[in-house]
Amino acid sequence: MKKLSKKTIITIIICLVVIAAIVVLNRMMPSQEEMIENASEKMEKMIEKDETRSRKRVTVTYNDLFIVSYLSLSSSGANEMRERFVGFMNHTYNADEGKMKVTGQMINYTYRMLGRGQNMMYGAKLTILLTTLTTLIGVFLGTFLALGKISKRKILNKPCSGYIFFFRGTPLLIQLFVIYFTIPKIFGFAWRDLFDASDTESVYKGAFLAALIAFGLNSGAYCAEIIRAAIQSIDKGQYEAAKALGMSYGKTMRKVIIPQSIRRMIPPVCNEFIMILKDASLVFAISLLDITTISKTIMTSEGSYMVFIPALIIYLIITAFFSFIFNKIEERFSIYE
Amino acid sequence: MKKAVKFLALCLVLALAMSMVVACSKDDKKEETKKEDTKNDTKNEDTKTETKENKTIDISGVKLLNEGVLTVGSEVGYPPFEDFAEDGKTPIGYDMDIISEVADRLGLKVNVINTAWDGIFAGIGENYDVVCSAVTITADRKETMDFSTPYIDNYQAVVLRKDDTRKIESLKDLDGMVISLQKETTSEVLMQDYKGTGTISVEIVANEKVTTCFTQLENKEVDAVVVDSTVADGIVPKNTDKYVIAYVDKSEPEQFGIAMKKGNTELQKAINEALAQMAEEGVIEDTYDYWFKSAE
Repeated sequence: MKKLSKKTIITIIICLVVIAAIVVLNRMMPSQEEMIENASEKMEKMIEKDETRSRKRVTVTYNDLFIVSYLSLSSSGANEMRERFVGFMNHTYNADEGKMKVTGQMINYTYRMLGRGQNMMYGAKLTILLTTLTTLIGVFLGTFLALGKISKRKILNKPCSGYIFFFRGTPLLIQLFVIYFTIPKIFGFAWRDLFDASDTESVYKGAFLAALIAFGLNSGAYCAEIIRAAIQSIDKGQYEAAKALGMSYGKTMRKVIIPQSIRRMIPPVCNEFIMILKDASLVFAISLLDITTISKTIMTSEGSYMVFIPALIIYLIITAFFSFIFNKIEERFSIYE
Repeated sequence: MKKAVKFLALCLVLALAMSMVVACSKDDKKEETKKEDTKNDTKNEDTKTETKENKTIDISGVKLLNEGVLTVGSEVGYPPFEDFAEDGKTPIGYDMDIISEVADRLGLKVNVINTAWDGIFAGIGENYDVVCSAVTITADRKETMDFSTPYIDNYQAVVLRKDDTRKIESLKDLDGMVISLQKETTSEVLMQDYKGTGTISVEIVANEKVTTCFTQLENKEVDAVVVDSTVADGIVPKNTDKYVIAYVDKSEPEQFGIAMKKGNTELQKAINEALAQMAEEGVIEDTYDYWFKSAE
């Protein structure tokens, strides 16, 4: 085993301590039942009544956000009642006003934007999943498109150039609309029907698939240009040397050119990744809720402009994490130069 | 002498003739207005508004962003309340008719600012004086803004595809279905409440535009659309081959009002006075009939 450097050991220790602290605090977090006990008598009566009513009145929201929990009890109608609590370290605090109210709201907003307690097609999970898959599809598709565009054969060159021209020349939002609304209309199918019909979540799965196709096709065109630029930036001497060694075109590409061009394409691909991360908010148009859409929704329904702060932080954490990964990949491929 | 008498006589005859002509025409007009009164309601209003112009509502104490102009914020794209005409720039619709009539009575011009529904209320008092965009009056909203008296009642309607045989007899029959609705509307608040309280289990798909909901319904992505009855009344009759209003929930009615900045009581008073005049004269009812009657 390779000997670990001092820096790595310290990083690992810090990570372990943080994880341990989270686990401990998570265990000490009050449960939903414990927190409901703090509700006022009036509210308790309403909850009790609800059990017999068919049109229920009280909404119980319980958010367990790793180390803190938030409980809100609200009744609808003209005599609206609302009670909020924040739970931390075996204690439940009233969060109806002041600083605790803001804390409670922040927990609730973060919880909703992270999409905890929701399916995969929601909030931060949707953003990360869509962005990662899109980048993978984009790079994969882009490699073939780039090779096609470089190729001197017209049968390969023309369609690939046309594809890139089309997808770079039209807005992503319109492509998304066409794939989600127009194509099913023309061919007479529904995205939802591609999944299990009895599953009510299949509507999101359908929309997600449509979004993934639109984003993937679009990203493929952009990645193709990135990859083409990277391949063509490799010195001509490399081709000549490979040719002198008797390598075929395919082998030259696979063994010599592409490995070298990877290092050059990483920074722009990272750029593209971050672009997709932000463009992912376009899925609002086909009923999917990503971080931006959720924060906007909260802003209008509660009139709170504080919601954008956790949104920014979540985005920064995602970007930081993936930038780190891209940096590591770049370092690894730098050995060729 | 003779000449003078002749002149006098001529004058008298002329005067008599003139007075007769005037009297006649007056009688004619009276008769005409009477006929119109009975026959044509709209004409009646026109004449009434003309007479009302004498006692315009006092707006001396009202503070507006631009003098002489009522700047209105609206999310244009919510037919039949507000939509663009074929030319793509003239906002038309029920709200637009109401607000321009109100402004008319206040002696103001109307300037409609098209804005997104998200954050529409943040611009009150900054980008526009009032918001007239099918805004439901709620206790929550009353805390942050003032409302005029309501100018329309609204219910929740369930819209299905024409070929759908399911029977909806209450909102609870939506149990287990996938429904589409417009984000940040009362429909969403109500359905989220039904879902959040555990009354029914329903999958809610929220969209920015109400038209998207109907396209989703048509494309079979969703089973039903829950929407304001007024909107359903505006859209479904035009597409009877595609959609059908399966159920209208009248148990929890709501009212639309014109929203304005909190504390702008002068403006609120003036608008309320104009709305009261309009209600009294039947203008509101006629406008409603014009935009929604086709549904009945």
